[in-house]
Amino acid sequence: MTDMAIETSALAKTYGSKQALEALSLEVPRGEIFGLLGHNGAGKTTTVNILTTLLPASSGTARIAGHDVTTGADRVRRSIGYLPENVHFYDNLTLTENLTFFARLSGVPDPAARIAAALEAVDFTGHGQEKMSSFSKGMRQRAGIAQAILHEPAVLFLDEPTSGLDPQGVAKLREIIISLNQSLGMTVFMNTHLLAEVTKTCTSIGILSSGRLIYQNSVAATLGAFPDQASLEDIYLHIEAGTPS
Amino acid sequence: MSPWAAAVGHELRSAGRERLPQLLLMIFIGMSAASAFIGSAAKATVTEVYNSAAGQGLTNAANPFGNVPPLYYARNTVIYILLIGALLAIVIGVQSAMRDRRARTIDLVLTRLLSPAGYLGAKMTGIGLGLLAVLGASALISVVCISAVTGSIPAPDQLLRLLALFGVAWLFLLFFVALGTLSGLHASSYTTALLVPIVIWSVIIFVLPLLGTAAHPVSLLNPVTPPAAPLTGIFALTGSLTGPLSLGEQFKHVAAILLKDPQATGTMTGGITVILAFLAAGISAVVLTGRTSMRKELHD
Repeated sequence: MTDMAIETSALAKTYGSKQALEALSLEVPRGEIFGLLGHNGAGKTTTVNILTTLLPASSGTARIAGHDVTTGADRVRRSIGYLPENVHFYDNLTLTENLTFFARLSGVPDPAARIAAALEAVDFTGHGQEKMSSFSKGMRQRAGIAQAILHEPAVLFLDEPTSGLDPQGVAKLREIIISLNQSLGMTVFMNTHLLAEVTKTCTSIGILSSGRLIYQNSVAATLGAFPDQASLEDIYLHIEAGTPS
Repeated sequence: MSPWAAAVGHELRSAGRERLPQLLLMIFIGMSAASAFIGSAAKATVTEVYNSAAGQGLTNAANPFGNVPPLYYARNTVIYILLIGALLAIVIGVQSAMRDRRARTIDLVLTRLLSPAGYLGAKMTGIGLGLLAVLGASALISVVCISAVTGSIPAPDQLLRLLALFGVAWLFLLFFVALGTLSGLHASSYTTALLVPIVIWSVIIFVLPLLGTAAHPVSLLNPVTPPAAPLTGIFALTGSLTGPLSLGEQFKHVAAILLKDPQATGTMTGGITVILAFLAAGISAVVLTGRTSMRKELHD
């Protein structure tokens, strides 16, 4: 078994004449909480869509937990959990009904037990019988993480998980992500704009700029390498500014 | 439970909770129940007129309704299947495809173990099972109503013919489910998704037969008697081209033979082949819909 949870090599994606992703080569070791940073349109969501098998790459290769996203897509899907940027559910069903459906689609043999465990992991027990239409954004995000971990995936993909949450919601979600990583050993790959959150949550980062990976390192090494910059936000802007577009 | 079976069950549960299909379903089952009584009322009216005419010595011919078989009372059901049933099937198909697009849950589905074809196939299976239950209930209601009108339970061969009619109706309606689903998967808005298959339905049911027979539109609502096809001229040519595509007429022809309509001639083979060909094309088009199309955003 490879030590890398995520490996990409010269991964590229074009939409017509637009190059959304350009020769992305990336390695994320197992057990990391990796934050992919970048401006709007940098290619972060395209990257996640390719890695979660939602979108075919134009060229290059990607492997998740050792499985190729093209030739081993089924095995990749068994290995990943995915929280889209704006997670949605079937609003006319209860949370438990939604989770049961997604658990069964993931081949979970005993959905009830896994749902209970997943809701406990996101500190959300007691809401199972509520209709999704009554949920706030923060509650939906926690329900979204619960659906993503139902089948105990090795790698969790979170697309802008804290987007639109209030400070309490952000703090709660951070606590959940760190707990999933430390208690259950899940590798977490997250796209985010909130650089302050990256410092508190991630163990390593990559920076995408106009479809190209321009930086990758651990958070600790990054903070140490730029002693003249006050924060990760300053470091990010400094790195971005040094990149010809 | 396998992912495929879970998707089938989810489809059945979700469809069962939607209002519009429920309303159309009630209308359809209500009309199926009314069908026998409408036939009975028609028979009573004609017999009354006949008795009056015969009493005045205006005719000595036999009452044309004097000895109608029990299957006669199911004739109107054919038209309800063609009109209300097909619309119900389109609405169910559109709602099914739109459910994922409106809820924006498709990414959660597509990152799991079912392939797009597997998921869409499961959805079609779920709807097919639901439709089978609806038609089963309609068949039962028809039998009960015919028994009530005639005062006796139809003979076994008549029951079999009635069941066969609902079986063919299931195949016929599944094509419209596929048409609705396909439209729901590809249309950019809910309104377009409903409008497109309804236009196609009206072309198949009304326009194509008119092109082939120059029939009066109202005659197309005649339950089972097929419009006479001209043997010469432009309509003979268009008839040969559009005839096989006139799915509604093919269904009516099969139904006429099953219900032993005295005017129906020929065999059911051609009609059933056309219905199956439409169904196979519709289902293939649905299950071959790609991941990218399924993820397309809705604009309303």
